[in-house]
Amino acid sequence: MRAEDVGLSQAEYQRILELMGREPNDLELGLYGALWSEHCSYKSSKSLLAHLPNRGEAVVQGPGGNAGVVRLAEGVEIAFKVESHNHPSYVEPVQGAATGVGGILRDIIAMGARPIAVADALRFGTDRPSMQLLEGVVKGVGQYGNAIGIPTVTGDIGFSSTYRANPLVNVMALGVRRPQEAIGAATAEPGQLLVLVGQRTGRDGIHGASLLASRDFDEESQELRPTVQVGDPFLGKLLMETTLQAVKEGLLGALQDLGAAGLTSAVAELCESSGVGAVLWLDRVPLREPGLTPYEIMLSETQERMLMVVPEGNLSRLQAICEHYEILATVIGEVTVGHQLIIHHHRVEEAHLNTTWLVGTAPRRPVDELWWDGLNSSATLDEALPEVPSFSVGLLLKVLSHLDVRDRWSVYRQYDSMIQTRTVLGPGHDAAVLKLRGLEPGIALTVAGPGRWTAVDPYAGGAGAVYRALSALAAQGASPLGLTDGINAGNPDKPESYRAMAMVIRGVADAARATGVPVTGGNVSLHNETQGEPIWPTVIVGAVGRHPRPEEPVRDRLSEVGERLFLLNPAPLNWGGSAAAWTTGQPTAYPRVDGDRARRVLEAVRDWVAAEHPRAMRVIGDGGLGATLVRLWVASEPSLGIEVQLAEKSPQEKTLRFYNESPLQWIAVLAEDDVDRAIAWWTRESLAYAELGRVTESGLCIVDGRYQWAYSDVMAVWHQAYKEVEA
Amino acid sequence: MAAFEAVVTVTLKPEILDPAGEATQGVLHHMGYAVRDLRIGRHIRLTVEAKDAEEAEGLAGQMAEELLANPVMETFRVEVSAL
Amino acid sequence: MRIGVVTFPGSNCDTDTLEALESLDVGVESIWYQDADLAQVDGVILPGGFSYGDYLRSGALAAKAPVMAAIRAQVEEGALPVLGICNGFQILTESGLLPGTLRPNRHGEFRCDWQTLRVVEASPFFPGLMPGELLRLPIAHGEGAFYVPPGTLATVFQQGEAWLQYVDESGLLNAVINPNGSMANLAGIKRGSVAALMPHPERAMADYLGSSDGRRLLSAWLKGIGQEGSYAG
Repeated sequence: MRAEDVGLSQAEYQRILELMGREPNDLELGLYGALWSEHCSYKSSKSLLAHLPNRGEAVVQGPGGNAGVVRLAEGVEIAFKVESHNHPSYVEPVQGAATGVGGILRDIIAMGARPIAVADALRFGTDRPSMQLLEGVVKGVGQYGNAIGIPTVTGDIGFSSTYRANPLVNVMALGVRRPQEAIGAATAEPGQLLVLVGQRTGRDGIHGASLLASRDFDEESQELRPTVQVGDPFLGKLLMETTLQAVKEGLLGALQDLGAAGLTSAVAELCESSGVGAVLWLDRVPLREPGLTPYEIMLSETQERMLMVVPEGNLSRLQAICEHYEILATVIGEVTVGHQLIIHHHRVEEAHLNTTWLVGTAPRRPVDELWWDGLNSSATLDEALPEVPSFSVGLLLKVLSHLDVRDRWSVYRQYDSMIQTRTVLGPGHDAAVLKLRGLEPGIALTVAGPGRWTAVDPYAGGAGAVYRALSALAAQGASPLGLTDGINAGNPDKPESYRAMAMVIRGVADAARATGVPVTGGNVSLHNETQGEPIWPTVIVGAVGRHPRPEEPVRDRLSEVGERLFLLNPAPLNWGGSAAAWTTGQPTAYPRVDGDRARRVLEAVRDWVAAEHPRAMRVIGDGGLGATLVRLWVASEPSLGIEVQLAEKSPQEKTLRFYNESPLQWIAVLAEDDVDRAIAWWTRESLAYAELGRVTESGLCIVDGRYQWAYSDVMAVWHQAYKEVEA
Repeated sequence: MAAFEAVVTVTLKPEILDPAGEATQGVLHHMGYAVRDLRIGRHIRLTVEAKDAEEAEGLAGQMAEELLANPVMETFRVEVSAL
Repeated sequence: MRIGVVTFPGSNCDTDTLEALESLDVGVESIWYQDADLAQVDGVILPGGFSYGDYLRSGALAAKAPVMAAIRAQVEEGALPVLGICNGFQILTESGLLPGTLRPNRHGEFRCDWQTLRVVEASPFFPGLMPGELLRLPIAHGEGAFYVPPGTLATVFQQGEAWLQYVDESGLLNAVINPNGSMANLAGIKRGSVAALMPHPERAMADYLGSSDGRRLLSAWLKGIGQEGSYAG
């Protein structure tokens, strides 16, 4: 085999020769290929990600583990992370998405946490095949999540023709654990046994990491397609219960899930983070079909497997648990002193490598600090206000039917969002709210990251995604505990794609730092590029917060006639990367906001909501103020209406007010009696506001007395199922 | 033109994991049946108009390639008989 | 009183059901599917989930489990009260303890939503649940379309086996509100001491979860078991 057969460059191969002082054999070369791949080593992004702030008082485990962990309350910790499964979902949407869900759930379980929620962020093209992909991906997410019994409580869906051959499937999972159940990959000790638990190994997804996820798609991708991995949520459920039982009983020295690059990555990561070596006896690995070579066993991406590190004295108890759940557990190796990974197959030594070479010295693209500092300097588009269409009844209907703005009910109702009986607010709200039994604080979580914004300005869009997620927590009066980010971009070897990715990360980093919220983990998916066409650089930001009273979440609908509507923190008029701008074909630069000011606004809104508990709140989201008003309205009793008066004078200014998607804006709905007190609070906190109007009994939405929409008008466009908008 | 019945049998490729097959085989074992190699597939029956059996078989095969089977993970077999 | 909740491999609403029962102050026992000893319990719930991953046909593989043979014997000999929820319903029809079968939803999709149900028939096993009474409960299933062979639906009604129907919010029966293509909008069936429904009462135990009608339904069942002497004969 040659270096390029396993995705390594000549320079990388030379480096391997230097490290080893000899030529690697095929198996050794394959291990390098997998672990030095973009997908496993993050070689292009690691130095960029190092700029993300990751410390905070709530942080128990920052980046580097299988998932980040934050403290929710005394004795309760939350593990959470977002992961991508983009390339496999294009090849086989149902199984690609299903195994994506299974994979991130195992990351959470590998921290000793029981998964209690999933959130999925999906991006698709706008043509007919894309809608078929959407159908398959949604089926796959549901198939796995519904069957294993983890509720999908929130999500985000977006569209652009740039995602046509590179759909994005980013899944965030969240689990809870007690501090004494904390475990990870860093605590293996020499003498402990390596036990492979779960599915028998087959030829699934060999080279998925090094070749499928670390290269662009082209004509040859067909040939490179690894054998599709099939998810088995049934076995996944048994594996989850087995693992959590073993953790609960304190049987394990360490724990690592098998994901990309299978056993190779699991063992190497475990050794490197624990500072130990290992011996593997591959002939003991249970196989699904005979005749797998050591190479195939090491690189198989068969799903539903865990690597447990077990002190010998605990082995029989672990085996008893596995027998109860009828799941295979096999001792396949041993932890050793040092850094050597030695792989045996039928008593023949097949590979002998230093794990530090494999993981610690993996190549890394350096970042020029001057270049990094300058990344926030220029917007890519003109910031001047363009000619915008006049305010009209038709424009709102057009924006409401934009794929990004539409009601997502057709997707969400295919997910079980209520299992485990913690879901107080599920999909369709700005943030999901979960109530944990016997605990006063609850959990608020959300995912956000419109590609429309990063497309026009990766830096401002990246920051905007963070602000959008934090705004959703603030609207619940919830305090942010941590963030997770899923970066999706094109080929990092192309300067423009690399720069776009870096700008997104810089935007996330600046916003996270300004607001004091740590990024405790995340994922980078590169090479989302087909025949030279990259996707819009896209970030999915997941935010987790502590909810002060989950049994009484802040609602997002109108309750009675006479309620008053306010726009909190109205943005300077702009057009940006709003859905309206893309609809009319004239996007401009996405607005940048001052970080310190963002922090003050977020804290003021959160404190006000937590203390005063307004009737309803809604973050200005996809489709701007107009679409957000509609969402509030149609969630209410059909007899209620809204009457809004815009302060802007010209028809163009009204349009900009109604559709801009600047971050950090909310609609607040107040009972008549609470208005004076709220205004006094906002004034004291220097929180700007504009009165919008009131709730009426007309059953209509009326703006400025002359623009008028009936319930059926907006539902006809907003509530449609997804369908292609281009051939 | 004549009517032909085509039966398309879709099966997972041998190397692809079949979780449903494995679970079903496991229960059969519990029930005392010594079976192995259980794999679950799909059986699709359709009637198609064609000038002869060969064309009918070709059409059914095309349908299988384009829709009925997923070439990434499945294979199929077509049997045609005159009605 | 003690209620057993059976866990099959792949059951995933067992914990929710145990917790729902505990909140009603009744003793509970988790029963593993390989255990065939039901001596300690006064009633059994087959909870929701994906036993055996719903592979082959939902409920078909679990219906062959040892615990099901024991349940059948206890139902036939001692009128053991059994309540099936969602996948539990599927297991009960597959094992022949309830009539009919549950086919894949008519539209082919999994459906998770709130649904209003109407009680068709009173039952001594659910004292206090009166005909015409409405319950608001969540559904979450991919195979919930109740089906009996042509010509036999009338018998289901005549024999008092039709228990719950999907209705609109005002309690009226219509086709639009039917979430899965169930015959006659049937959401729940009963026969003797066995009853089952596709919706999830254990998910509607508190107003903050959207409804506490599940509490009403489960309380009625427990009350019925408490009065067992009156029907066990």
